[in-house]
Amino acid sequence: MLLEQVEYVRPETVGDALEILASDDGAAPLAGGQSLVNVLKNRVASVDVLVDISRLAELSSIARTADGGLSIGACVTYDALDRSPEVRASHWILGDVAGHIEDQQIRNKGTIGGNCCLSDPTNNLPPILVALGAVMELRSRSGERSVPAADFFKGYFATALEPGELLVSITVPPMPEHSGAGYASLAVGADAKALVRAAARVTLDEGGTTIAESCLVLARVAHVPVRDAEAEARLSGADATEEAVRAACAGVADGMQPIADVHGSSEYRRQMAKVMARRAVVQAIAAARGSRNGSTAGGK
Amino acid sequence: MTITSAPVTGEATKTWSGRAMPRKEDRRLVQGQGSFVDDGGMHGQGYAWFVRSPYGHARIVSIDCEPALSMEGVYTVLTGEEAKAMCEAPFFAIAPPPGSLMQEWPLAVGKVRYQGDAVALVLADSRETARDAAERVVVEYEPLPAVTDGVAAADPTAPLLYDEAGTNVVWHGVFDYGDVDWALENADHVVKLDRLHFHRFSSTPLECNGAVVDFDHGTGVVSVLSNYQMPMFAAMVIGPTIGVPINKFDFVTKDIGGAFGLKIGFFPQIAALALLSKKAGRPAKWTEFRTEHMLTAGHGNERTFVDIEVPVMADGTILGVKARAFDDAGGYLHYEPLGAVIWSQVVPGCYKLKHVRVDYTEVVSNKCPVTPNRGYSRMQHLWMIERIIDVVAHELGLDPVEVRKRNYVQPEDYPYETPNGCIYDSGDLPRSLDIALELAHVDEWRARQRELGTGSGRRIGIGIGSTLDSGTNNFGQSRIINPELPFSGNGEVAIAKLDLFGEINVNLGTTPQGQGHETTASQVAADILGVTPDDVTVSTGFNQANNAYVGFSGTYASQFAVTGLGAVMGAAQKLRHQIVKLAAFALHAEEDEIELVGGAARVRGDEERAIPFIGLANMVYTNNAGLPSELLSECDLNARYVYVPPFEVPDTVAKTGNLTLTYASQVHVCVVEVDEETGEVKILDYAAVDDCGKRINPLVVEGQVHGATGLGIAASLYESLDYDESGQLEEPSFYEYHVATSLDIPNIVCGSIESPSPFTPNGAKGMGEGGGAPLHAVCSAIQDAIGAGGPIVTDSHNHWARVYEMLHRAPGAPRNVEVISRSGGSDTDVKSL
Ligand SMILES: Cc1cc2nc3c(=O)[nH]c(=O)nc-3n(C[C@H](O)[C@H](O)[C@H](O)COP(=O)(O)OP(=O)(O)OC[C@H]3O[C@@H](n4cnc5c(N)ncnc54)[C@H](O)[C@@H]3O)c2cc1C
Repeated sequence: MLLEQVEYVRPETVGDALEILASDDGAAPLAGGQSLVNVLKNRVASVDVLVDISRLAELSSIARTADGGLSIGACVTYDALDRSPEVRASHWILGDVAGHIEDQQIRNKGTIGGNCCLSDPTNNLPPILVALGAVMELRSRSGERSVPAADFFKGYFATALEPGELLVSITVPPMPEHSGAGYASLAVGADAKALVRAAARVTLDEGGTTIAESCLVLARVAHVPVRDAEAEARLSGADATEEAVRAACAGVADGMQPIADVHGSSEYRRQMAKVMARRAVVQAIAAARGSRNGSTAGGK
Repeated sequence: MTITSAPVTGEATKTWSGRAMPRKEDRRLVQGQGSFVDDGGMHGQGYAWFVRSPYGHARIVSIDCEPALSMEGVYTVLTGEEAKAMCEAPFFAIAPPPGSLMQEWPLAVGKVRYQGDAVALVLADSRETARDAAERVVVEYEPLPAVTDGVAAADPTAPLLYDEAGTNVVWHGVFDYGDVDWALENADHVVKLDRLHFHRFSSTPLECNGAVVDFDHGTGVVSVLSNYQMPMFAAMVIGPTIGVPINKFDFVTKDIGGAFGLKIGFFPQIAALALLSKKAGRPAKWTEFRTEHMLTAGHGNERTFVDIEVPVMADGTILGVKARAFDDAGGYLHYEPLGAVIWSQVVPGCYKLKHVRVDYTEVVSNKCPVTPNRGYSRMQHLWMIERIIDVVAHELGLDPVEVRKRNYVQPEDYPYETPNGCIYDSGDLPRSLDIALELAHVDEWRARQRELGTGSGRRIGIGIGSTLDSGTNNFGQSRIINPELPFSGNGEVAIAKLDLFGEINVNLGTTPQGQGHETTASQVAADILGVTPDDVTVSTGFNQANNAYVGFSGTYASQFAVTGLGAVMGAAQKLRHQIVKLAAFALHAEEDEIELVGGAARVRGDEERAIPFIGLANMVYTNNAGLPSELLSECDLNARYVYVPPFEVPDTVAKTGNLTLTYASQVHVCVVEVDEETGEVKILDYAAVDDCGKRINPLVVEGQVHGATGLGIAASLYESLDYDESGQLEEPSFYEYHVATSLDIPNIVCGSIESPSPFTPNGAKGMGEGGGAPLHAVCSAIQDAIGAGGPIVTDSHNHWARVYEMLHRAPGAPRNVEVISRSGGSDTDVKSL
């Protein structure tokens, strides 16, 4: 590693970490380091003090909330999410998405908090967390606040975090009855960055034939995960069939200007957003009907 | 990826040669005990870091080294101007004018010509300090307009990289064989394609470049510990530039983590490090980082073919091809324009094309310099030929299998002389194709393809790639580029030695990078010397002090099985001869009575009369009083042999001659499923049939096939190096450049046939490069999936968006192809063509 000179501290408690972060403008939390260290290595950003929070027990647990949801510590790794029976029991898809991030080495180190706080539009977890209605629990020396995931991501590498503030945990509400989630991505290669992705959560009516309510989130069509409210409106009350979903998703991403790069034009990504949206919703429907609370076919 | 092998044809041998043995070197390599260049070092060394241009094309206005020099731990900084002042001449130019006017020095002088061009070199007491210091070297640039397209670069109005040359065209030549105009006039059909583009990519070695270089002021010796794959080429290029004679170089290589030809390109870095060491008075160690590698270490040749015309008879006989080719060498000429002739080793591809004219232009552009890259220069041409075969079949409604079989060089045609005088040594392409079709279950997939029909959103495509891996170059072909060049023929060296205690040691002139030379060389030597491969120690890598080299030494261009093992055979036989002579003397027997068994010499039929190798070594090295002096002078137990393949100097005017000794063939069949909604291509079945003559070690051959197949699939679907208009590389790291992993590469089923080469000492042919068959096969499969009447696959790289575009192109949109048919067909007798 060819970093610039940087100081490193490993506080014993979250409180100590917050003290250091508050007292030094140049301090930054170090979680899994899977992005931050690369960023420092490439010298596109510089940090004076790395505050290593990765071993804080308080940030590393997964707990069941009273209402049956999950409270996931910010420093829970992708691998821990993947292998957690708690996560799989209530939010299968979250484990599945985490279990498909890059390779095992990265999954051993990368954390759910880091994945969100970086706010890299290619990251896997933000869109599914928005789709699941997760809430980000933030803490600073001056107190705590909760920010819905949908409001947390502010832009390319920008979040709602204030200086000196830590993401301590993420609360994921329980999946309503008759609901399921889906996740579909298009990537250049098996473990490559996604070109476009979509995450969806749907709740079906009692009989399981129509869509009662849905949340459809697109990623990589903009700098942050975006909900497609119009498509959601078209989905609500629609038949829970592939054809109906296809019709509802036909207008997805229209009017958006996804980035263009060597892997595909803006127009290509717009078209792919429709396809991924449909696939995610169809998966979510299947999951809602099945015993599982999330899809198995999510992957990247 | 899982690997399945078809049963190996050919019976088990009693010899070590021919056996599918695991590689000797793997024990240390898989246990992390390999020794690579970055593992090495020299006493007192500093660490070097290059200051590189962020611009694709710019004038260097000024360089201020002071801020770097004032840092603690910085030894020195070398700038381009300073380096030039220490040099006697620019690097030797392969091209005649105007290419020779495009001079290169160890570091950029006056201007930078591609993003990453090196303008200065820092030496410091640690890598970290060197890097920090490099950031503090202040370079002022004046950006210039860039040219990043090979065809545009040839235009006289394009921005010039080298004002001195007055053009970006490095070399231009017309390769004209048979009578293509006549063929075009007399053919039943002429298929015309306006453009085919072979993209840039790299074989991405696991290990990047690296070198530790010491300029010893006392002796004048320049020691170079590196992973450079053709050391004496570097010595010959660098020596006259930095004023060092060959015998004052000490090139050493150890384990090399892949090279693929790319590691021929970094001689300027070695030269710069030598000058840096000279200036600093201490060794300089440089380890290239990945992004640096991707920006600067060398890319494969990018070639655009335009105005392609193919004369075809009604029965599918293809008479030839006419095309113009533009090859883009990037900012400097590191081995170029040799690529401009190397493709002509395979002018007609696998086919009996008789009339070929290629008007070939090589240009410089504001991109990373190209280097040889696995399949070097032939792959580009062979891809064009394979595209033509498919397009002809596609457009004329013929079966691509039948078109290939009709036009293939047939088994009975060998040795087959191509229109430009190359001799294809042996092969059986129709049989290779049949095996490949079977191994890839093509009949079943055709049925499945019909079943799927429209509306499923999925399409199946079946593609074929027939290709050649021409090996053992006749370097005389370089004179077709420049008749003044003092090169022809080829050669390689091995030294076989019986050491003091009777150990067998083999030194090679090669620089293995994963090809298993230690294994195959010991198999060959073991057979000749009556021992097991474990008894033969083959030293790792190249060491100039061993004196096992000629000017061609190294590992490149599919030739070790012929030149390297030819040399090992010769050296081992020479040593055997000496051993037999000594043993006959010691055992009071006739030489023809002596046999070598189990590390001893004995009298045939009288096993008690034997002497172990240690006894023979003792006689020569440590106990020689009283032995006849003729015996001692003939038997020094240190046998050096130079294998030289039989070649003539080509005709540089007609551009004809035998350019390579062997032609291994590969026929690959690829079955893909294309997702109509996204353009994603998934490989469902893949078969690779290799014919490289006699295989010394089938396992090593299969390993090479897997590697070449993986790289080719990766290039065809995932990997491409593209520049924007200002000369910025769009994929400078693995975030953007998706290197295919085992998750992307399908199960590869290997088959083989053995058509021994009549021209080589062992019937073997070089086969490591592999001729780019996967690029041909994947493009062919995508074409098949698109179906009749659809767009033509015109690019060698087909990422999802491109496939999607082809699947969804509006009906009536340009198809890049045109067929002109002569009414009523012709009554010309095909046979007479
Ligand atoms: C080669 C490679 C490819 C990758 N590809 C992908 C991919 O395709 N998809 C994907 O999702 N991931 C991918 N990752 C992993 C991913 O980028 C990182 O794991 C993730 O973005 C950061 O998580 P981390 O725990 O490593 O955080 P770090 O790198 O330690 O930190 C990232 C940022 O978040 C801040 N931060 C971290 N934790 C907190 C917190 N609790 N509160 C406040 N701020 C915090 C840090 O200060 C830093 O700015 C890849 C990683 C690598 C190395």
